[in-house]
Amino acid sequence: MENIALKASGITKYFHDPVTFPVLKNIDLEVKQGEFVSIVGKSGCGKSTLLYVLSTMDRDYEGKLEINGKMATGSTLNELAYIRNSSIGFVFQFHYLLPDFSCLKNVMIPGLRLGKLSPKEVEHNAYEKLKMFGVEDLALKQSSKLSGGQQQRVAIARALINDPAIIMGDEPTGNLDSKNTRIVFDLFQQLTKEFHQTIITVTHDDDFAHKSDRIIEMADGEIVK
Amino acid sequence: MKISVNTEIALTYLSSRKKQTVVASMGVMFGISMFIFMQSLMKGTNDYFEKSSFSSTSHIRLYSENKVADSHMLKGFLIDSSVKMLTNPKQLKQSQGLNNPYGIIRNIKKNPQVTYVTPQVTAMVIYSSGSVTLNGTVAGVSIDEEDKMFDVQTNMVTGNLHDLNRVNNGILIGKGIADKLSLHVGDNITVRAGIGSPMIMRVIGIYATTVKQIDETKSYANIVQAQNLLGKDRSYVTDIKINIANYNDAPKVAHELETITGYKAEDWVQSNEQLKAAFKIRAIILNSVIGVILLVAGFGIYNILNMTIYEKIKEIAILKATGFSGKSVISIFLQQAVYIGIIGGIVGIIFGFGITLMVSRIYIGAGTLKYLPMSFYIPHYVEAVCFGVLTTIAAGYFPARKASKVDPVTIIRG
Ligand SMILES: Nc1ncnc2c1ncn2[C@@H]1O[C@H](COP(=O)(O)OP(=O)(O)OP(=O)(O)O)[C@@H](O)[C@H]1O
Ligand SMILES: [Mg+2]
Repeated sequence: MENIALKASGITKYFHDPVTFPVLKNIDLEVKQGEFVSIVGKSGCGKSTLLYVLSTMDRDYEGKLEINGKMATGSTLNELAYIRNSSIGFVFQFHYLLPDFSCLKNVMIPGLRLGKLSPKEVEHNAYEKLKMFGVEDLALKQSSKLSGGQQQRVAIARALINDPAIIMGDEPTGNLDSKNTRIVFDLFQQLTKEFHQTIITVTHDDDFAHKSDRIIEMADGEIVK
Repeated sequence: MKISVNTEIALTYLSSRKKQTVVASMGVMFGISMFIFMQSLMKGTNDYFEKSSFSSTSHIRLYSENKVADSHMLKGFLIDSSVKMLTNPKQLKQSQGLNNPYGIIRNIKKNPQVTYVTPQVTAMVIYSSGSVTLNGTVAGVSIDEEDKMFDVQTNMVTGNLHDLNRVNNGILIGKGIADKLSLHVGDNITVRAGIGSPMIMRVIGIYATTVKQIDETKSYANIVQAQNLLGKDRSYVTDIKINIANYNDAPKVAHELETITGYKAEDWVQSNEQLKAAFKIRAIILNSVIGVILLVAGFGIYNILNMTIYEKIKEIAILKATGFSGKSVISIFLQQAVYIGIIGGIVGIIFGFGITLMVSRIYIGAGTLKYLPMSFYIPHYVEAVCFGVLTTIAAGYFPARKASKVDPVTIIRG
């Protein structure tokens, strides 16, 4: 039997601005360990919102969320912070690196926070991750001085630093050319096949979506397929 | 050395915003250096006034005090068990002298705290020269011991104080007396104590203290001369003056001496109430000034950290999204406050010492006060740093807590 990496049941969420309306309507979702899932749908249908809920960052929802068989709904802020730090890697829709730090430091920081490895080992791993995306030359450059695509690749490297069980991406390849998109895709696929990491990624790239294991299509806050 | 991620992030933020860091540290530095300066000035001044009050007063003075009559005194007359009552009690006249003064002195010397003991005969006198007269007191002393205790030598204007031992009827007068009676060294002065017969004495020296009132009334004579002046014998002593190792213990030692001798022992604190009041007032002024300075410095830090958090709100959100807990975020921002406090503290110590040193060179030149009295007292510096760091922590805590409450989704969603 395959393990369930993430299980969401009955997720409903409302926004109240300017009027109360449901963004997510009773969403049930199960993702198995090692699965590579793409979420697609029209702009504004609630993909990012769903991803924030699944990543435990957004706690303002109805329904239940389990990560690696553990109930995340109702956990304390500190417990959730630990879950994110150790088990979830997140690539944001807009890259969101820390501008005061070098690329290397940006990748290292979640690893240092986790503290499982020595700073030396974390640094070594960070270099390895940067190398995978071909940005190791930029390691010591201040992150605010990178191009959009470069920043995005560093951000993906950061998401991988703690070898998280689940990697979530909100259009992680949105800024990348086709060559780099392929690199990222191949890498994601390798992670799921070889290391049984789970990937959930929102994408507008049909090609990318079709190559993944499963496509979840959303419309108006509901999963339609 | 292994520094934690929180520390590393705190230091990076501080160094990537050098200007704000410097401004905030300068606030702390200013507060701490002012703290040190004010404390040094106050302690210096207090020490000076304390010391100068000891240039004429001993730490403890033992004398015979008139007592109010009480009903116990009736016991000698009415031996029965009746209840004794006394209405309208009056002061009883006591002999001015102390009984067996040299025995008392021997006793006092047994107290390990006591450093100097000297007897004195105080006589209220009228000075006259020609047709001019002046009220005052003659202190009959052993001038050598008096000099050891009060450093009379530094107050000498003319003459040699040791002549008091050599010249039979010598007298050392204050400058005020000399001016009013136009006397010089070698002149004669007529001294009369109450109802006693007048005595002609020879001025062997003139002294001046910073206290005008003393200079205009007090003169020194040999203790034997003072006894003669009052028509008393060699065992007549009115006061015993006592110095002790640590003058702050005076009230305690005075109390002990009172119980063993049965005479009134007045410590310097009692006889210098106004000095203590001045100390207290100065302390209040000083503490309010320091309070305000630290408050301002604290607000500076508070503001700057608040601004930092406002600017860094996105980054705080990212940190939280990648798994930094609220506690880590507090630590990151509180550490920034602490480092600002430490930098400001170190520079403040150096600066405070510098100002203190500079001000201690300011020439005053009033009386025996040549330079502004400043003390260099290590605990002030320690206190200053403690206060500074406490202020910065207090000022940093609230912005840090605010940062820890940032909700990452609202920020990242944009
Ligand atoms: N803070 C908010 N308050 C109110 N409504 C919001 C808020 N954030 C998003 N929405 C609305 O919720 C809906 C879903 O937004 P979401 O960001 O999840 O869309 P998306 O599917 O990720 O779109 P895109 O593909 O353009 O990124 C949108 O209609 C959006 O206008
Ligand atoms: Mg989106």
